[in-house]
Amino acid sequence: MPLLLPILLALACAPLAYVAGRWRPGASAWVGASGAVASLVALGWELTLGPARLVLPWAPTWGLSLEFTRDGLSGLYAVMALSVGALVVLYSRAYLPHHLEEKGRPARDEVRFHVLLLSFMAAMVLLVTVDDLLLLFVALDLTTIVSYLLIGYDRDDPESRAAALLSLVLTGATSVVFFAGAMTLGLQYGTFSLPLVFERAATSPASTGALVCLAVGALGKSAQVPFHFWLPRAMAAPTPVSSYLHSAAMVAAGVFLLQRLYPLFAPALAVRDGLLAIGFLSMTVGSLLALVADPFKRVLAYSTIAQYGYALVLVALGSEGAPFYVAAHAPCKAALFLTVGAVTQVTGKKKLSEVSGLRHSLPVLAGASAVAAAGLAALPLTVGFFKDEVFFHALVQRGPAFMAAGLVGAGLTLAYTLRLWWGLFGGKRQDVPAAPRLLVAPVVVLAGSVLAGGILPGLLVEPARAAASAMRGEPSTLALAYHLDARAENLLAVGAWALGALLFATRLAWTPGLARVLEVVSRFGPELGYRRLLHLLDRLSTWLHELEVRDLRDRVASVLVPTGLLGLTVLWVTPLRHRFLPGTVGWADLTLVMALVFASGAALATLRARGHMVLVLLISCVGFSLAMVYAFAAAPDVALTSVLVESVFTLLFAGLLALLPSRRLERAQQEAQKPRGRDRISAGIAGVSAFLLSWSALSHLQADRVGTQTVKLAEVAHSPNVVAAVLTDFRGLDTVGEMSVVVAALLGVTSLLRLKGKR
Amino acid sequence: MRSFVPPLSRMLVRPALIIALALWLKGGGQVGGGFPAGALAGLVVLLQYVVMGREQARRYVAVRYAALLAGVGLLLLVGTSFLPVLAGYAPVSLFPRPGQPELGAGAFHLHTALIFEGGLMLIVFGLVVTVIDRFALSTSTEEESGP
Repeated sequence: MPLLLPILLALACAPLAYVAGRWRPGASAWVGASGAVASLVALGWELTLGPARLVLPWAPTWGLSLEFTRDGLSGLYAVMALSVGALVVLYSRAYLPHHLEEKGRPARDEVRFHVLLLSFMAAMVLLVTVDDLLLLFVALDLTTIVSYLLIGYDRDDPESRAAALLSLVLTGATSVVFFAGAMTLGLQYGTFSLPLVFERAATSPASTGALVCLAVGALGKSAQVPFHFWLPRAMAAPTPVSSYLHSAAMVAAGVFLLQRLYPLFAPALAVRDGLLAIGFLSMTVGSLLALVADPFKRVLAYSTIAQYGYALVLVALGSEGAPFYVAAHAPCKAALFLTVGAVTQVTGKKKLSEVSGLRHSLPVLAGASAVAAAGLAALPLTVGFFKDEVFFHALVQRGPAFMAAGLVGAGLTLAYTLRLWWGLFGGKRQDVPAAPRLLVAPVVVLAGSVLAGGILPGLLVEPARAAASAMRGEPSTLALAYHLDARAENLLAVGAWALGALLFATRLAWTPGLARVLEVVSRFGPELGYRRLLHLLDRLSTWLHELEVRDLRDRVASVLVPTGLLGLTVLWVTPLRHRFLPGTVGWADLTLVMALVFASGAALATLRARGHMVLVLLISCVGFSLAMVYAFAAAPDVALTSVLVESVFTLLFAGLLALLPSRRLERAQQEAQKPRGRDRISAGIAGVSAFLLSWSALSHLQADRVGTQTVKLAEVAHSPNVVAAVLTDFRGLDTVGEMSVVVAALLGVTSLLRLKGKR
Repeated sequence: MRSFVPPLSRMLVRPALIIALALWLKGGGQVGGGFPAGALAGLVVLLQYVVMGREQARRYVAVRYAALLAGVGLLLLVGTSFLPVLAGYAPVSLFPRPGQPELGAGAFHLHTALIFEGGLMLIVFGLVVTVIDRFALSTSTEEESGP
């Protein structure tokens, strides 16, 4: 399974970093980064072997398998996630100690950060490598969960927690929508394997509803309008998180999904037009907000929304430059995020209005970030130039209106990038201490790659073509080269630079007005809807919670009544003939009946029991009588287990009584002696439902067929003890699940009683 | 007056554990299995707690590390269930497969189901003992010691 090697290496990074961190906190970042580099090397070696697929059967009878692919698209995104990931981890080695000190947290918390970041990297590599709709959803949710932990890394900061919750709710909810789309497709085509789905979609196109669901999931992840507002809020996270999640990973995941699933979207022109509109809208909204935002990280966050708007437009147009665009954007944006993180660490400031003229104190950082900014703004000699070239190339084919929109968008990009860089490094001189080398080095490496891609574009043609052909399923003719002539792309680029420069030069004139307008508009944005919804849900949950915890009896009823109603509904809707058979009772059953009478007597006696100890003994009496029933019914295995379990249960229950305050027990006793009307109703519903369900189930025992067959199969499975065969072999997976629950209960008991012990 | 109960309860430990082992090992062929074996072993430990107190009962290594044993049990369970997947079998494929010959005598046979049942036994034992231990800890005033 050579295809899995990079994934396994990436998955190993986080545990290795944790172990190294236990030994020495400073080592975890280096170990993690080397792991990422090792995975990158393995991936590079794999990519030279050409495309391949790996199918691991999982539940073959249901047609479910774990499928992985190695193609241009996964290669491009995996390289991006791994290389930026390694650099960001090294950067956070220098960033975190200072950050933790500022927050008053111990230095060893750094390890947790590296581990989370590396887990995110692994989830991302998994996401881009899988080739199956269900695994795609699983990997998508993994990234969501880890990003929640990362954004909320500053646990003591309420703003940070709220931002984490917002991103979890939004990206989680949209990924559930994605799941609905994936399930619809799976049911429509009878498989979750992507190549098969694409093949069958060629003859019968996917339903629009399913495609919209998939698109919603992708848009939520990529922070596109109307889900865009989680991204700026997520800037509450430490800067390395923003740098990684919001350049090469989390937001890239959404656009990646659309590119991976492009063959489904290709024939659905209406859906693609919708995506196109959303892309242009996100471009506009993001760029305008980036022009007026004051905190640096916000500028970059809005810029990310706008840039992924571009990528969305490219996907919607079916352009072969879409994967390349994302890949070219990632190093520029990551470098800029790392730059502003370094600036914040050195100066302690977070807003553009508070800093200026840092080029004198931080010359290397200024130079490297200038290259990255040039890349973002698509100036020549950087890889960014080509990202705009492919963008313009796609728009030129659609006509003048699209060209104008693209020109304005690119002009706005240049304007806000200039504003950011000039705000940090230009203007009146401020003297600050030098930045640590490890903070600057990753920026320099990223800037170097931006520059290298711009000077030697020929190197990028091959990966970009491979990714484009994997996305579109046909050979790509993408070309990246400088042309010194008056072609439309070049004219558009020059026009965009002129517009950007003009906007930047006149910024003092229009910034205050634009800020005021946007402030008013944003008050009525989708964020308001989110807050209202959250508030309503909160109230609903408080209401339910109060209903439940006010009284122990209500709490029990809140479990029993819905269960009982569900059972009755199931009985009501399932069409079964001879639903309730009375069966026959002969003299041979006398012992059984006696044991059952005993059990029923004990059960009835609990109604009048005074004192909890008596109650426990009566309940165990029921259990022991049932064990007797099993023994009489020639089921020695079940009987033995029941006796043992019942003994343990009775003793533990009695022990538990010693832990409860006696006043509580007395009150519960008094309450139990005086049932209220609604208690009787709840008990009635639960009892009747349980009785009818059991009767119905026992009326349909296929004793001969199932029993004989099971006995025969148990012999074959080398286990003459049928119960053991069922438990370990036929239903082994169920046993594993049940035992996991037991272990979870064990952990719960341990932590609950430890808490009690501390008080 | 010296009670005969504490020595008696201590004498019961070994026979009970041997019966538990027997229940586990012959579970595939006759009455038994990992679940009752774990419950029986747990009951013996429970007896020690009741008769001799937490301090004395924790002299046994298996009692001190009961929670860890449950973890080991889960690993055994998951291992026997999912390691065959790596070799291309369906999950929870037990060996020898149906039709293949197996080694063994009487009710005892070498079969990977034994490892599976062993995992069950350890989990049940770990749960019972840990819960007892926590109860004992919460009702007594002594400080927590050991893992």
